[in-house]
Amino acid sequence: MAEEFNTDSMLSMFLYESYQGLEKLEGIILEKQDADCFDDSDINDIFRIMHTIKGSSGVLMYENITKASHKLEDVFYYLRESHPEDVPHMELVEKVLAVSDFITGELDKIKAGNEPDGDEKKLVEDLDQFLGELKGEIKKQGIRLPKANKQEEPTQFYITPVAEEDSHFYRIVIHYKSDTQMSNIRAYSATYALKEVAEDLLYTPEDILSNESSGDSILAEGFHMLLQTKSSKDEVMELIDSSEAETIDFEEINKTEYGKALVEFGREAPPIVINLEDDKAAAKENKQAPITPGDYVVKSKETGKGKTLAKNQPKQQAVISVNVEKMDALMDMIGELVIAEATVLQNPDLKVPGLDLTNFQKAAAQLAKNTTELQDVIMSMRMMPLTNVFQKMRRIVFDVSRKLGKDIEFEAIGENTEVDKNIIEHISDPLMHLVRNSVDHGIEDSPEIRQANGKKAKGKITLEAKNEGGKVYISVKDDGKGLNKEKLYNKAMENGLIGDKLMSDFSEKDIFKFITLPGFSTKEEVTEYSGRGVGMDVVVKNIQSIGGRLDIDSVEGQGSEMTLVIPLTLAIISGIVIQVGEAPFVIEMASIKEFISVTEDALIQEPGGEEFLVLRGDCFPFIRLCEKYDLPGAKTKLEDGIVVVVEHEGKQICVLIDKILQEQEIVVKPIPSYVKKVKGLSGCTQLGDGSIALILDVGGLMIEEERR
Amino acid sequence: MKILLAEDDFASRKFMDKQLSQYGECDVMVDGEEAVDAFMMALDDGEPYDLACLDVMMPVMDGYQVLKAIRDIETQKGIPKSERVKVIMTTALNDERNVKMAFELGCEAYAGKPIDMEKFEKVLKKLELI
Repeated sequence: MAEEFNTDSMLSMFLYESYQGLEKLEGIILEKQDADCFDDSDINDIFRIMHTIKGSSGVLMYENITKASHKLEDVFYYLRESHPEDVPHMELVEKVLAVSDFITGELDKIKAGNEPDGDEKKLVEDLDQFLGELKGEIKKQGIRLPKANKQEEPTQFYITPVAEEDSHFYRIVIHYKSDTQMSNIRAYSATYALKEVAEDLLYTPEDILSNESSGDSILAEGFHMLLQTKSSKDEVMELIDSSEAETIDFEEINKTEYGKALVEFGREAPPIVINLEDDKAAAKENKQAPITPGDYVVKSKETGKGKTLAKNQPKQQAVISVNVEKMDALMDMIGELVIAEATVLQNPDLKVPGLDLTNFQKAAAQLAKNTTELQDVIMSMRMMPLTNVFQKMRRIVFDVSRKLGKDIEFEAIGENTEVDKNIIEHISDPLMHLVRNSVDHGIEDSPEIRQANGKKAKGKITLEAKNEGGKVYISVKDDGKGLNKEKLYNKAMENGLIGDKLMSDFSEKDIFKFITLPGFSTKEEVTEYSGRGVGMDVVVKNIQSIGGRLDIDSVEGQGSEMTLVIPLTLAIISGIVIQVGEAPFVIEMASIKEFISVTEDALIQEPGGEEFLVLRGDCFPFIRLCEKYDLPGAKTKLEDGIVVVVEHEGKQICVLIDKILQEQEIVVKPIPSYVKKVKGLSGCTQLGDGSIALILDVGGLMIEEERR
Repeated sequence: MKILLAEDDFASRKFMDKQLSQYGECDVMVDGEEAVDAFMMALDDGEPYDLACLDVMMPVMDGYQVLKAIRDIETQKGIPKSERVKVIMTTALNDERNVKMAFELGCEAYAGKPIDMEKFEKVLKKLELI
């Protein structure tokens, strides 16, 4: 969806509330889709949600929404009042979802700044018919029909301001002829004429009437105006008296430029507000100090000054909306602060022998504690629960399984797990794909097949999120047919994705990974939902772009599990700084298994030049960083250096380094674009002494190693 | 139809005056107190206004105070609900809180600035003014 925001707070409140209500509605519906009927509290909830939407859309005059929600409210009104039995549940569920989809569609239009012009007639007719049957059923059951649900026409209305998209923005500069008398009066008459059509008008110099000398500066520099209006250029030009003007520069600008120009003119640009608040915050917001009549009395104007309120309202907002860019900037600054902290605490000057650093160390510990806390707070500000994403998945399972005629139970575990906002944006699509795949390919095509295999007729998909050791694990698990290794292998072979390697060359996990190769799809026929052969590779690419990975696990006949493993946050990691030759490197803490000192005996050299290390009976690939990156002065004998065992996706390799320097919080910076992309490095960072260290990308190193 | 327009900003006033004049006779006030005075006067003369468009940020009395005063006067004079003047607030202050309060004070509509005249007209129809 377009990143549209609306500066009108009534409208955004309406959108927020309605989306919220619809989400809750869907939650109820999907939870109860398999039940025989809704219970009283559900009916009440749905009734109330529809009632609210009907009411607020009425005030805002979105009539199609009002009508659709009103009809559905009616249906639930009868359900609530008469408690009829044998309501066709599935049909009802579909009706509710249809209305919910319709309203969501209209809300999206409003959000994008368009008129909600969807036609509700068909929907209302459908509902009417359903309601008619329902009433008949109620009568048949001998229950008295309740009094008709009277619709009160809204008596109060809210007129949303004109969408600013309709406005034009102009920058006008008038240069008068140098001998023009009283140019300030001419300038004034221009502004006067423009006021007729102006939505906003600014000009410099401001004090054209009260300050006679302003005429001179108008002659010298021209008279500058900024105009926001719905009128066209020609209409505006007509209004300006051009008789004494030498030139009139007329330029249409866009909204952003207008905002910038406003700042030049000494007025602050309209803030760009992006709501980060969650339900809790919204609830809190209502506790603001109440406003009362009289708060907006304007003091009499002083010349050349804007309006000021007589009573300057103290703003006690419990919640503020923050521009995401500001949050990002703050995050960057914390990163810089962490680096600066390291620069101070590990300053080479401190290494002068004989210094008494007791007090310094105390202060340093305090500083370190505070920066860590600061970091945590900022991180937590960016954290959002996965609830919404999970809700979406619930709906997808419902929709797709209904379309495919499969009976599937959906379970969500850990939907309150919190993840960095940026990450949520990145995982929604991949996750959707995984869930669809599970429904479409995972679960068997018919209950009979399932029962023949000794499983329950109803399939089950479990979505689980958990937070462990700085990583978030989100898994999609189904109890379907699982992956068939041979099929996968054959398919990959057919599509020429793996050359001529034998099946025994691959581990189980490697074979499962085939499904993430571009151009791979095992399903013979392509369905609406999956199997186009694009998808899994895109999923993996998306996940990798945020430093995550996809683990696939499956037992044939019992089901599969796809797990997304994503870092909790992107910006700051804790790492170990090591040295090879003169160059410092950083290895992410989470990927280090151990540091070990080994002798040359453990080394096996293959004729091809590949080297392996045997540690406690296991054999690992071995990399010398000094050779790989051509670093002079590094230690080449195993006895002199240290071997680091690093792990990535369950595989381990050994890396020879010279020495370990220290543990440090590392602010990851991308390698600047003017440096050629070097394989095996994921970024760089600044160390305490100001030098730059490269961050080793363990996964990348491994891929390199495998290719050799 | 008789219309009361209270608006202190000249540009807005000129614009609104022009727009409203197509629906009826429009009296223009520049601050809140004047608006209440004009309302009283019209009431005393037995020619009450049908519609009042009130800006919120105004000198002396703000739009909410004017609205409250108007409703209080009507209550005190025992004017039945159906005959009360229809009030439309016109302001750029469109915080949800502001709008809610205005509704509680008893305005018929709340128009955010810049005003969408199409919708404005729609509301006038709904209020059965035109």
